[in-house]
Amino acid sequence: MQNKLISMQEAVTSYTWDGMTYCHGAAFPVGSDSVAFGKEMVKQGRKDLNVICHCGSSQVNLLAAVGAVRRCEVGFSGLEVYGFANGLNRAITSGQTIIEDYSNGAMAFRLFGGAMNWPFVPATVNISNDQQWCSGDSPDSYPATEKIPTITDPFTGRTLGAFRSLRPELAAIHVTMADIYGNAIMLGSEWSRFEMSRAAEKVVLVADQIVDTDCMRQYPNLVRIIAEVVDAVVYWPMCSWPQASCGLYDSDEEHMFMMNKAMKTAEETEEYCKEWVHAYNTPQEYLDLIGQDKIEMVSATETGFLMDPYRKWIKSEAQIKELMDRKEG
Amino acid sequence: MEYTKQEFMTIVTGREIKDGQLIILGVGLSMLAGYFAQKNHAPNLMPFTEGGVYGSTPVGGLPWGIECNRISANATSFTNAIDALGFLVASGRCDNAVIGAAQVDKYGNVNTTGIWEEPPWKLGKYTPPRVRLNGSGGANDISVGAKSYLIMASHEKRRFIEKVDYISSPGYLDGGDARERAGFVGGGPSAIISTLGILRPDPESKEFYLEAYYPFTNVEKVKENTGWDLKVIDEVKMVPEPSEQELANLRSVDTTGSLRKKG
Repeated sequence: MQNKLISMQEAVTSYTWDGMTYCHGAAFPVGSDSVAFGKEMVKQGRKDLNVICHCGSSQVNLLAAVGAVRRCEVGFSGLEVYGFANGLNRAITSGQTIIEDYSNGAMAFRLFGGAMNWPFVPATVNISNDQQWCSGDSPDSYPATEKIPTITDPFTGRTLGAFRSLRPELAAIHVTMADIYGNAIMLGSEWSRFEMSRAAEKVVLVADQIVDTDCMRQYPNLVRIIAEVVDAVVYWPMCSWPQASCGLYDSDEEHMFMMNKAMKTAEETEEYCKEWVHAYNTPQEYLDLIGQDKIEMVSATETGFLMDPYRKWIKSEAQIKELMDRKEG
Repeated sequence: MEYTKQEFMTIVTGREIKDGQLIILGVGLSMLAGYFAQKNHAPNLMPFTEGGVYGSTPVGGLPWGIECNRISANATSFTNAIDALGFLVASGRCDNAVIGAAQVDKYGNVNTTGIWEEPPWKLGKYTPPRVRLNGSGGANDISVGAKSYLIMASHEKRRFIEKVDYISSPGYLDGGDARERAGFVGGGPSAIISTLGILRPDPESKEFYLEAYYPFTNVEKVKENTGWDLKVIDEVKMVPEPSEQELANLRSVDTTGSLRKKG
């Protein structure tokens, strides 16, 4: 099995390009998401993206706020109790970003269809209402007939819809812990990351912690993402920040509100990026930017005990550096 | 007894939730109504979130999201969206749910997607909205699949309208047997619980009528704040005030006092 650890810069350079269909996960608005990967895409100036995200997270909010999102398919675009996603909403109302709305169930079903390599998935939800009748891709026809076309159940004659399956070109997936080969354990709801990891053509994991493969051998039932479908592994502590990672850190309430407020205008977004996106290169510089006090505060999570069984397998910074050096050597 | 409109609405919603039900809850008012019911009269309630977080109660305050650590610190199971929204909700297994609405119409159709100058159904095409909201999230799956569900909304004329700009989550569509014709597996909304009263669907037409109003309002005020010609049943009642026990139970769930700030 191949050691797949690479740097964040290399992962974004190698696996993303302008105009691509990019999927990120879990794409929770408050919890797990590969937010740091999206920031690196902003740093490298990716644009014209077709983004598939189960929910709107701080990641797509930022990507849309800098004008990098041409089109977005989403089940829920907001940040839950943190409010409407100002950057994404600004891009939608201005017409810069085409939005295709589905339900949260539908996004998972469509990724499942992609994982199965099915051309479509029978739709019993999202039909006979505006989720079916309004299409950002064919805005001039109402009701739209091509977004969720009507089909007939060949067995009962019942009328259903057909969801287009999703096969993203890349899924950048946040996981709590991964080994260097791409086996991963997720704490908390996995949302649609299981099917996403099988639907995407390429998969990059962004892990808060790197653990020894013995950890996977102890809890094989919990290893829902497997090395066999993973192309690269990036070690990036506090990857979901300012969102939460179950077992490791809570959402950063102050930063969530501040960041979303900045996404309201292009000018403030640029200021935000200068201070919080372009100001670091390494995981250590990133942690320094967040600040020790803040890290300690959000790390005092009530879910901390969930990490207890895994702690003995966590690789230290020095061990991770050695693993990366050995690979490069 | 002092309480806010938001607290009253949450208690009234909670009263609609029965012990033993399998119920899917969203953030905010939905979770508060559900956990209030669990604390107050439904100890065997089985609440879960659309992320597939089972068996938990909030810790340290109102959760920021359905996947927040505050709802993940004492769970008995974590699964995923296919399980929660697919196997349990879209399949028709889930008993009850509570969803919110930015707009709701007389047939209980809910809009949480956007506000338009000219809505798509009027304009005949789909233009960017004047105001983008959040989309349907899991509420579309719930509205189609759950055996029944409750809609919570702030009772204002601009929100309670004849026809919503966009149906994010279908209620009874254009009324009558429209849901059956659409092939939906679930039964539709059992009530709209607003900040002023309780609305129920007519068994035949499926148009929502006023069943009861809150002690601090009256039938005329409810009608004035409704954007369609709201029908009122002959035996319209006043909803009983919250009991001290109910308020204490609600406040023990709403530890951060989010409902008391909203007036």
